[in-house]
Amino acid sequence: MTRRAGYRCGAAAGILFLALTAGCATVRPWDRDLLAQKKMSFVPNPMIQAVDDHVYFSKEGSTGGQEVGGGGCGCN
Amino acid sequence: MRMQLGFPGRAPTIRTTLRAAACVLLATGLPAAASADGGASQLDASVLLYGEQGRANVVEPTVRVTRLFPDGQSLSGQIGIDVITGASPSGALPSGVVAPAPVEGQVQTVTAASGGAGGAAPDPGQIPVTRFGDTRVAVDADWQKPFGLITPVFGGHFSRERDYQSIGGNTKLSISLLHRLTSLTVGAGFNRDDVFPTGGTRLPLSDSTVIVGTGWNAKRVNGGIVGFSQILTRRWMLGVTGSRSVEDGYLTEPYKVVSLMDPSSGIAVGQITENRPARRDRRDVLTSSVYHLTRDVLYLSHRYYWDDWGVRSNTFDLKYRRELGDLTLGDSIYIQPHVRYYSQSQADFFTFGLIQGAILPAFVSSDERLGPLRTATLGATLGFKAPGTPGEWSIRAEYIRQFGKGHPSNVVGVQRDFDLFPAVSIGSLVVAYSVPL
Repeated sequence: MTRRAGYRCGAAAGILFLALTAGCATVRPWDRDLLAQKKMSFVPNPMIQAVDDHVYFSKEGSTGGQEVGGGGCGCN
Repeated sequence: MRMQLGFPGRAPTIRTTLRAAACVLLATGLPAAASADGGASQLDASVLLYGEQGRANVVEPTVRVTRLFPDGQSLSGQIGIDVITGASPSGALPSGVVAPAPVEGQVQTVTAASGGAGGAAPDPGQIPVTRFGDTRVAVDADWQKPFGLITPVFGGHFSRERDYQSIGGNTKLSISLLHRLTSLTVGAGFNRDDVFPTGGTRLPLSDSTVIVGTGWNAKRVNGGIVGFSQILTRRWMLGVTGSRSVEDGYLTEPYKVVSLMDPSSGIAVGQITENRPARRDRRDVLTSSVYHLTRDVLYLSHRYYWDDWGVRSNTFDLKYRRELGDLTLGDSIYIQPHVRYYSQSQADFFTFGLIQGAILPAFVSSDERLGPLRTATLGATLGFKAPGTPGEWSIRAEYIRQFGKGHPSNVVGVQRDFDLFPAVSIGSLVVAYSVPL
């Protein structure tokens, strides 16, 4: 896939996201009991996620995701 | 976690690092101070046990202490130590010949850890590996404080290995919008890394005997991130994050080699050091979803990655948190199966081997991590609170299988008979514990 195709992929993801969110109903503060739980997070266990990121960074050619920056390890 | 010779003169540096790390943890985690100002402290600890079949083994303990202040401010300090031993592929092809164990300077022999000659591959079809060992110490700290709907985060990082050092900083700014239904995050990070290969820096595309310097080789990593998350319903949250990082400097793996094949027989008759471009531009888009069912939670994510080395990848990740206890009684026990699949295309300059006598390319690498690989992961986490104790335990076991295209068309002779990308089985166990102090 070319760089242009990559941009298209990113743009498509953004458009899909906007389309999904544009018409969403308001969630009132008193309806956020479930959302307030710790497990309702993209990364509910940051320490295990950090371990995973390190393992896959050392074994694969890709990186990226939730965190900014990079490097920090001579393993790859 | 590179392969290298011993570096006895660096031992005091590790001790100094550990001492500094202890100071950071103590400064952020004093329980007495927590009770005095109305805040609280949290201790998180984990240990990773990781083993590759016939290759590397890792033990990685990590401790993190977080001070939580009444105004929402938090300060964290973390220290992690990686102890790695074992072997990794040197990049060379199988010898293709039945021969006694090679001696230094010949095919199948590369610089190894602890000063020993490694890479012996008595089986003519066996992938040569290099034995090594290393210890890495990493210290991280971060601070954040909410100001109304805006929360800035500042972080710092330092890590040291025998032949690699990294120091960096990062910042993120999160903004809550539209009655806190939408969150926008922007961030930037900078890492100044240095690579100082054991025995000196080898001349690229040479036979490993030509040293071009013994100093440090700089590698800079600058990155940025933009994220957007949206609460869609009472049960569903969706997020899209795009990030980009640009690496400049010494990006070559200093100990990896590329085999030279005899044009007709395919037998490995020599090897040269690899060479990579001095710049790499990486980008990715991560889409994540968290959905709360009646009791359980489903986590889904997909990441698309691409860079200017020609690597493209897709990562699919699924976790399902199944609650096992009675939540109305405050029971907290769950099991969380995990499935992950990763698929990657090879870098433009990746090759399994070169033909002896052919014109050398400007850039070349046989590092399998730049090859056409796949990774499949299957695992599960068990989380629970032990009776009579305040903390939470998480025990996670996973099986990882990494495999690739092991019969490429661009090898010749005997190499066509070998699986040049044999599957690797990996097992990992993580035990984590979190407790308020």
